[in-house]
Amino acid sequence: MRKRFDKHWYAWAMVLPTVIVLGVLVFYPLVRGVAQSFTNLNESNQRDEICTKILGGAETCKPNPDAAQFVGLDNYVDVLTGAQGDFWLQLVNTLVWTVACVVLHYGIGLGLAVMLNRDFRGRSFYRVALILPWAVPSFVAAFAWRFIFDERFGVINGALRAIGLDPVSWFEQRWTSLFTAIVANVWLGVPFMMVALLGGLQSINGDLYEAAEIDGASPWQRFVNITLPGLRPVSSTVILLGTIWTFNMFPIIYFVTRGQPAGETEILVTGAYRAAFEGIRDYSLAATYGVLILSILVVYAGVYKRVLAKQGEVF
Amino acid sequence: MGELMPEAIQPATIEGAQALERLRLPHVRRGRSTLASVGLHATLVVATFCALFPIAWVVLSSIKPASEIRRSEIHVFASPTLENYRTLLTGTDFPYWFLNSVIVAAFTMVFGIAMSATAGYALSRFNFPGKRGLMWTFLLTQMFPVAILIVPIYTIMANLGLIDTKASLVIAYLTVAVPFCAWMLRGYFDTIPRELDEAAALDGLGPYATFWRVVLPLARPGIAVTAFYTFLTAWAEVAYAIAFMQSSRNYTLGAGLQQFVPQFSPRWELLTAGAVLVTLPAALVFFFAQRHLVAGLTAGGTKG
Amino acid sequence: MRRFKAGSAGIAVAALALTLAACGSDSGDSDSNTDNEADSSSADLSAELTWWDTSDATNEAPAYDKLIEKFNEKYPDVTIKHETVPFDQTQNKFKTAAESGSGAPDILRAEVAWTPEFASLGYLYALDGTAALDNNFLETPLSSNVYEDKTYGVPQVTDTLGLMYNKALFEKAGLDPEAPPTTWDEVREAAKALKSKAKVDGIYLNSGGYFLLPFMYGEGADLVDVDSQTITVNSPEAVTGIQTAQDMVKDGTSVKPTANDPYGTMMTLFKEQKVAMIINGPWEVAGISDDPNFGGIDNLGVAPVPAGGAGQGSPVGGHNYVVYSGMDDKKAEAAAAFIAFMSSAESEAFIADELGLLPGNADSYDMVSNERVALWADAMEVAQPRPWIPEGGQFFAPLDEMATEVLIQGKPVQPALDKVADTYKSDAVPDYSLE
Repeated sequence: MRKRFDKHWYAWAMVLPTVIVLGVLVFYPLVRGVAQSFTNLNESNQRDEICTKILGGAETCKPNPDAAQFVGLDNYVDVLTGAQGDFWLQLVNTLVWTVACVVLHYGIGLGLAVMLNRDFRGRSFYRVALILPWAVPSFVAAFAWRFIFDERFGVINGALRAIGLDPVSWFEQRWTSLFTAIVANVWLGVPFMMVALLGGLQSINGDLYEAAEIDGASPWQRFVNITLPGLRPVSSTVILLGTIWTFNMFPIIYFVTRGQPAGETEILVTGAYRAAFEGIRDYSLAATYGVLILSILVVYAGVYKRVLAKQGEVF
Repeated sequence: MGELMPEAIQPATIEGAQALERLRLPHVRRGRSTLASVGLHATLVVATFCALFPIAWVVLSSIKPASEIRRSEIHVFASPTLENYRTLLTGTDFPYWFLNSVIVAAFTMVFGIAMSATAGYALSRFNFPGKRGLMWTFLLTQMFPVAILIVPIYTIMANLGLIDTKASLVIAYLTVAVPFCAWMLRGYFDTIPRELDEAAALDGLGPYATFWRVVLPLARPGIAVTAFYTFLTAWAEVAYAIAFMQSSRNYTLGAGLQQFVPQFSPRWELLTAGAVLVTLPAALVFFFAQRHLVAGLTAGGTKG
Repeated sequence: MRRFKAGSAGIAVAALALTLAACGSDSGDSDSNTDNEADSSSADLSAELTWWDTSDATNEAPAYDKLIEKFNEKYPDVTIKHETVPFDQTQNKFKTAAESGSGAPDILRAEVAWTPEFASLGYLYALDGTAALDNNFLETPLSSNVYEDKTYGVPQVTDTLGLMYNKALFEKAGLDPEAPPTTWDEVREAAKALKSKAKVDGIYLNSGGYFLLPFMYGEGADLVDVDSQTITVNSPEAVTGIQTAQDMVKDGTSVKPTANDPYGTMMTLFKEQKVAMIINGPWEVAGISDDPNFGGIDNLGVAPVPAGGAGQGSPVGGHNYVVYSGMDDKKAEAAAAFIAFMSSAESEAFIADELGLLPGNADSYDMVSNERVALWADAMEVAQPRPWIPEGGQFFAPLDEMATEVLIQGKPVQPALDKVADTYKSDAVPDYSLE
């Protein structure tokens, strides 16, 4: 009994710093945010009093007639019916964005990892070169890709012109614009996936492959029956994390497309940011967005884990 | 390893086993066909080109004079000059930003590793009340968008008197990096056998000592990943840096470089030069850590 | 939103001064042509003030540093911490700091649209009755500082949009470089000549809401009518105006703007002499004249924005000096003295000479000798004020989207403007009525 207490005491001591920091800096604002989403709090009505101060003179205060008040579910209704903001458009964009990015991250990462898992000359060079994008800060990458896709002065259109094709107006259409952001994000995110999957591959017992080959299995069969199942633990983790990170990936959309054309490529997080910071700051609206985003991801994570649990993975 | 093996694919016959043995003999070389080899290299070359091209383009742009960077006719080289670097280093506060970023990143690394490692170890070894809740928390905190947290966290920092100090950034970055690293390190620690812990306990070491002297040294790859990740988080972050730091001399690199690309009249020449100088240290840290990256992420991912 | 950069504007002696004096009579607190003849205790005044300056760090801030040195000759014990903050981020930074009560500066160079917003949020000191208002300011720039009958700041610089054109290209096309187009139809004609004879595009219309205001003003329309509290952005006149712009893109008069970074593309093409006309403001003159590809400032012509059916109209912009309401009261006198000095006729004339910006102080114009200010004389004549309401800053995001839809995607104008009106109603000015 005493030993259990001792163990728990040590455990708690070890996690305490993390718990405190997260509690104060993330949970407290989170809870406050949820509370705020049920009010109409914004920058101008957050004060109880409106005071006018004259420089070097008197200050007169009067109570704020418009002070923030509880509005129940009004914000949620407004957002979900489209009366304010563009929730459904942004949700569709976010889903397309997330699915495309994660599929490409995983697919390309897996392909490269499989290739790099063999022994051949120059392997370390390729490995280093292919992981290098990970070291590039995301806003640098965003600006670089925006520049590359620039309709007039960018290299991609320049190359198209050079070989006689028409340049593409990337940011004029919603889906081509989203495409540019997906390209940038895939470029940025593949190294992480590749490295994780490479590690996973290397932990699969090589004997299994040899045995399968002897038994006459084709490369594809080997891949499907040995590699993929062998990678499942790693895959499930990186896909879960990758989905959450991509869903909330702010800098790429914000800096590459800037929501162009006409706000049609905004995703939920950039939409929430604009609600929070552009114009009179609408804290309650931003909090509403935040709660909706969080809910979607929580549901996703819950479903994901349940599906995995059914397949025998233990989280 | 049990769960990694599907229905066992083992040689079913003695002949098969003997064949396997023969394959292991050095003189039987199982070469790859030339076509496959060419295909492999071709694909990798294309992939490498895609990976390196944007970086190369930024580097090339950084040595063009300002008026040449955005031109209707695109040239690879155009009056190469180091003028942008000179302006950046002498005419702006870039050296201060660089120093600030180094300090913030270093502290984030140190504290990040400390917190993630202890938390990860506790999650791995101990079954304490609130463990599942904590694991969910680590996942949850990655789901709430940063954009919405900026103003509340600013207010908290203001109340603590930390605005315009590097401490505010370090703390904020820890909230971003620690959840993922703790999660990952937990998985990594899980692969280190508990027998070591028990042996240490028998030797009379307390939990902290076991952690510090026995388990941690074996976790080098996982620590390397944590170091890299926390460093990159602190090094590349922009939103908090802009919000919390007021005077130009206190900016970190993310905040400082942002100034060069306002919506109108961006100064691409300074941004590209800055981007190169920002990526170099990150690449450097990466080179040190990369040997361990594969191993670290593996084991961390294996057990989720 | 707009960004103001170091421009250059020269002053032609009496013309500009008279013109602007006509549309802006003295509305400060005193008529006399005073400079910072503050109260007697100048040498005793002692404080430390932080000033957030949004001007360009490399090109403009040094001029302000020199001004501060002059200030310190008169007030040696008032230390000014002159900090440059990026324009794009300042509105947010200031609001965040002011709201939390920590980290905000004492003095701020606030864009005209920010001033009513900050005032309505209680972040600014009212300056009525202080030395800060002792100067003779132009009426329109000063009006952006007035909120609920109190004055919350004083103008530093003012500007407007004008038709900027390339004289050499005009000559090549057989057009008179001293007689630029005065209506949009004339722009169309000029563009045809430029296309056929000079082989360049006529005009590049930026797909930004602010830059389409001349089209609206040219038909007599505006975004909202403050007096009647109506949203008028989708009125028939506004539709006509925006339709003109769309037609110009469709018939090739204007280059079709790019969706991402149209402003940067516009400036690059203009400097490369690939497009002959643009609608832009004084903050770009320095960049244009310094560009090796353009041909120097003598090649640049500036004219008022072309007229629509109801005349010419261009929006007024600029920056004001404001004081943060959370500043310690004891520094009040020092702050007032600083602002009074910086916005005095001599100081603003000095800035005009150094940077080519248009002063907000009416008396400065007599003292300015920079020719760049003179370029804008005619353009400023048709400048008109915007609705200076706190929500004013929120008008531009939906307008930018509309511009993209109408000019780049070619969508019909009336529905696009209706959408803007609806967004104004739901987000910006819910108390106003739709037409």
